[in-house]
Amino acid sequence: MNADIARLAARTLLGQRRTLLVVLLALVPVLVATVFRLAAGADADPGLFTARDLLAGLVVTTVLPLVTLIFATGAFGQDIEDGTIVYLLATPVPRREMVLTRVLVAWAAALVVLLPSTLLAGAIAIESADPAIVLGFLVGVAAGAFIYTAAFTWLSIATGRALVAGLLYVFLWEGTLSGLFSGIRFLSIRQYTNGIAGAFFDLPGDAWSPRLGPGTAFLLAALAAAFLLSLAVRRLERWQLGESA
Amino acid sequence: MSPPAPPAIELRGVSRWYGNVVAVNDVSFEVGPGVTGLLGPNGAGKSTILHMAAGFLRPSAGEVRILGEPAWRNPGIYRRLGLVPEREAVYGFLTGRQFVELAARLHRLPDPGAAAARAIARVDMAAAADRPCGGYSKGMKQRIKIAAALVHDPQVLILDEPFNGADPRQRLHLMDLLRRMAAEGRTILYSSHILEEVERLADTVLVMVAGRLAASGDYRQIRALMTDRPHAFTVRSSDDRALAGRLLAEPAITGIAFEDGHLEVRATALLAAARALPVAAREAGVTLYEVRPTDESLERVFAYLVRR
Repeated sequence: MNADIARLAARTLLGQRRTLLVVLLALVPVLVATVFRLAAGADADPGLFTARDLLAGLVVTTVLPLVTLIFATGAFGQDIEDGTIVYLLATPVPRREMVLTRVLVAWAAALVVLLPSTLLAGAIAIESADPAIVLGFLVGVAAGAFIYTAAFTWLSIATGRALVAGLLYVFLWEGTLSGLFSGIRFLSIRQYTNGIAGAFFDLPGDAWSPRLGPGTAFLLAALAAAFLLSLAVRRLERWQLGESA
Repeated sequence: MSPPAPPAIELRGVSRWYGNVVAVNDVSFEVGPGVTGLLGPNGAGKSTILHMAAGFLRPSAGEVRILGEPAWRNPGIYRRLGLVPEREAVYGFLTGRQFVELAARLHRLPDPGAAAARAIARVDMAAAADRPCGGYSKGMKQRIKIAAALVHDPQVLILDEPFNGADPRQRLHLMDLLRRMAAEGRTILYSSHILEEVERLADTVLVMVAGRLAASGDYRQIRALMTDRPHAFTVRSSDDRALAGRLLAEPAITGIAFEDGHLEVRATALLAAARALPVAAREAGVTLYEVRPTDESLERVFAYLVRR
């Protein structure tokens, strides 16, 4: 972790207009939870709604990847786009230190938005159901945010069109294919997130259950994070001036 | 006896291509202490050479070394190398001092504040150092970038078009700064497409044309090659035929052709021809309407060097 690079990354992220978009995005689950609380019928199951529809369905499937996409592609993307990356790279600071610092800053920024959103939305919708559902998704979202951040940081170094590539990945791979083909669950950050969250609670019957067991999800999440971080470091070590301009 | 010190910058058989486009073709040279100008028209491959020398671009073939170490994928070289990129972007939200101090801290200097203050003073930016970089003029951005590149006192400094955007006073100041740094024994390599900038500053020049090294060495010798080449003028007058007859008697004139409504005059020496033309016109009783050099562009000068 490099404090100077961290401060610079934080100021770059805070100065971007897209940060406002992220805050608006984080309000969506809170609004949905409020509508559920006010308008749900007497037969509605708050525990099932909170786990399956609100947190796994909306937060993990849409809000989590979009928030991390916006923060992580901003971590290096802005510097590469305007050429200021040269001032960092023309120093002896190890590239792994640069990548790790920027990933941690983007992850922290994502958590500042995602955790309150998850907590607040869950607290509003859960009523008398098991509060461990919310706790599970807080842990799952934190872990999923780290892997997504590593993935999108790598993407922002690898291509000048990281935002578009990231959106395609989120909607095609995570949003569509990982739900259609069960084999993809081993290569899906969404499924790792749900698997980790599922370690903290049980819903009655087959109402909703993660596609990966907690142990497998933790192991695959750790492997994916390590692999994606090493990819990002390797890509930055080989980054060439003008290639992403 | 200890082995000789390696050259500060060394390129051996270096080529760089992008798909089918060859940007740099089999270039070899060594650069030692002093100021060396990398000269060439736009698109000649100057920036590609500098990016490879600074370790920011992998050569497709050949080898680039800085002070004996490979330039590519070797962040350690930046302890002894400073780079001033061509793009003017700086962190607009940082003040000039914060920007230079950031560079000092990233180089892990023991006293970043003092090192930044020294570098800022060297580029004459102390008065504006506490203003945000976003409000700087092009010339000020250029100088603060140079301060950031100098902050760790590098042995080798590479600058890509450093005088772009600088006003004449700033230009003179920067030239003086680079001269002083060279006098301290540093190696300075900078690119320019403006002949006069190189003429006024560089001891040695490298001339790039279409991706190849067209000439290298002492500037005065190369300048002599340039002035020895034949020159061509387009001349319009009140009586082209009478003027041509008189001009043929001038030793400096080597050929005359009648083109569509004007004369194409070729001469061995630029100054001699410039003196001969009005004299010949007056003696022939002819009025000159237009005298225009037809091939004085840098590209033509460089093309001439390549043909030699």
